[in-house]
Amino acid sequence: MFFFTYLRRELRRRMRQAVLIALGLAVGIGLVVTVTAASAGVKQAQSDVLRSLYGVGTDVTVTGAAPKPERPGGAPPPGAQTFQIGPGGAQVCQNGKCHNPAGQTIDNLESAGYRPISQAKVAEVARLGGVRAAVGGLVLNDTSITIPKHFGQAGGPLPTPNSFTVDGVDTSHSGLGPLSTGTITSGRALRGSDATASVAVVDSGYAASHKLKVGSMVHIVGHSFKVVGIVAQAQGSSPPDVYIPLARAQAIGTAAGKSLKHDVNTIYVTATSAAAIPAVQAEIKRLLPGDTVTTAASLASQVTGSLSSTAKLANDLGRWLSVLALIAAFAVASLLTMAAVSRRVRDFGTLKALGWRSRRIIAQVLGESLVIGLAGGAAGIALGFAGARIIAAIAPKLWAIIPSSAGPHLAALGNGGAAARSFGPAASQTVAVPMSASVTAAAIVAAVLLAIAGGLIAGGFGSWRIARLRPADALTRVA
Amino acid sequence: MYQLTDVTKLYAKGRRTVPAVRDLSLVIRDGEWLAIQGRTGHGKSTLLNLLGMLDRPTSGTIQLDGKDLTRLTGAQASRLRAKSIGFIFQTFNLVPTLSAAENVEAALIPLGVPAAERRRRVDAALESVALADRARHLPGEMSGGQQQRVAVARALVKEPTVLLADEPTGNLDEDTRDEIINLLEKLWRERGLTLVLVTHDTAIARRAQRVGVMSKGLLTIQAGAQPGAVTGPVSS
Repeated sequence: MFFFTYLRRELRRRMRQAVLIALGLAVGIGLVVTVTAASAGVKQAQSDVLRSLYGVGTDVTVTGAAPKPERPGGAPPPGAQTFQIGPGGAQVCQNGKCHNPAGQTIDNLESAGYRPISQAKVAEVARLGGVRAAVGGLVLNDTSITIPKHFGQAGGPLPTPNSFTVDGVDTSHSGLGPLSTGTITSGRALRGSDATASVAVVDSGYAASHKLKVGSMVHIVGHSFKVVGIVAQAQGSSPPDVYIPLARAQAIGTAAGKSLKHDVNTIYVTATSAAAIPAVQAEIKRLLPGDTVTTAASLASQVTGSLSSTAKLANDLGRWLSVLALIAAFAVASLLTMAAVSRRVRDFGTLKALGWRSRRIIAQVLGESLVIGLAGGAAGIALGFAGARIIAAIAPKLWAIIPSSAGPHLAALGNGGAAARSFGPAASQTVAVPMSASVTAAAIVAAVLLAIAGGLIAGGFGSWRIARLRPADALTRVA
Repeated sequence: MYQLTDVTKLYAKGRRTVPAVRDLSLVIRDGEWLAIQGRTGHGKSTLLNLLGMLDRPTSGTIQLDGKDLTRLTGAQASRLRAKSIGFIFQTFNLVPTLSAAENVEAALIPLGVPAAERRRRVDAALESVALADRARHLPGEMSGGQQQRVAVARALVKEPTVLLADEPTGNLDEDTRDEIINLLEKLWRERGLTLVLVTHDTAIARRAQRVGVMSKGLLTIQAGAQPGAVTGPVSS
């Protein structure tokens, strides 16, 4: 066809200029694709972190309110155990009664920084409009400390507590909750029939460090649980160490010394649709006013650390950089196209003399610009893939600092009661997340659209020049 | 037939207004060969541009076969140019990236001629200028004379009624000049074209039926023109 013949010949004649324009567009588009890939990678990292906390399919999470903070030097909550060190040696006190724990192991399984929620509330939440399913769970910390026989002598070191996390899982809803994100690498998952059994699934990292396998026994506050499965969670997440049936966790766990029977401290909720999540969140807040109701979006806003900094960088700086690069690329493409049109003014004047209408000539110029734009887009996509690969190869691990409530603590009084130190889990957890960058289908579609837009904008400027061309003037131009 | 009535074309040059054509009234009959001579910058090419609707007069009317060209829209002018008017330029004005055949074909594109018919007519046009063997050559691969013959083929492939030639031999050597003028004369006779030819060359001008001289925008038809032709000044 004449149109394509003319187009091909003109591009070949101006190959160097066409390549320059295409390269300019490629850099702009490549930057957009790379930044989009980096953003997608960071978003994926964020959702991996969040998913590992709350499980696949969890749209809203309810956690019991944080316990009231103790006044320094004040009385512990009723039923709570405290560990004291004084002139007389070590003392364990509960409800005003104290004894010397020398040679003993003190083991507590306490609600990990959340106040209990009645299990009946789980059913109420499940009945709310917009809720597809709701299950309860118990997030507990097992903290044990072994007091040496001759402990308490002046200058002696404080014993170091050991702790691990225990998650009470509703075995009748295996598709919701923290265990749902994992992959069973050995043995099996917890089943509905395990509801009251003393069985456990252990995290692969914890199992490796404690040499546990299927058939091993784990001990939680003096109760033995048989390991029936090993689960591997998402890389970079900070999963519980041991998962046991919820009913067993309720039977052996405590919160400030009180039994957790018929209680949970976490509710995992799935909404009927993404659009229903805000309404569900609001309804649950009305039903449970004292408790914390979070969605993935609100938790994401609390995550700090280099992961969130990188997300901001990719979204804000990255976006503006891409916009500026694109504007520059489009401007250069437009200027070069207008210059090319100026050089062909006599050709266009001749074609007009032959009876070609302006729109036919404009179509020719637009066609040439579109081909250059698409070539730039293809090169830009290739550059984007390369950029994403480079990011994945050289980017350092990112850190997500996720706030979590303080765990149970043992107060130790120094000599004369002058100083107090407390043991317990940290107030936040730091999760390492590998940085990845993946080019999404949406980024490729965006690149193609940008390429077309770049070509049309550049061609549009040239076309404007042609539309204003007077044939008589054009024909007097020297080639 | 062309009928020009009181045609004036003014150009603005800074604060001055320059009259390129002044109060020109002229009739060019069908099948006539009119040569226009004159010094550079005196309005010859401007007159040709007005006849070919590449420019519009500042005042006056130009009629072609009863149609007032000054009232046509851009699209109508393009259509009429595509169908009825062929152009030949001093600098050939071939598209450098298109072959001889493709340059000739470019004249048929606006007419919507089907591809097979276009090929047939292009072959015939190149044959008529004895360049069938150069169909695939680019302008840069041809001599000046060959390029001008391609331009002649391009002008005539659409079988126009009018041929406007602006210094068609201006860039050619003497032998080639004669070759081109002989070709134009032959085609003019064979096809009954209305030929308006601008030239510096008096020898070429004398071959025409009528000769006009443009001087400072005024056209004077020279004495000794063909019988029945208008003589004397034709600009009022």
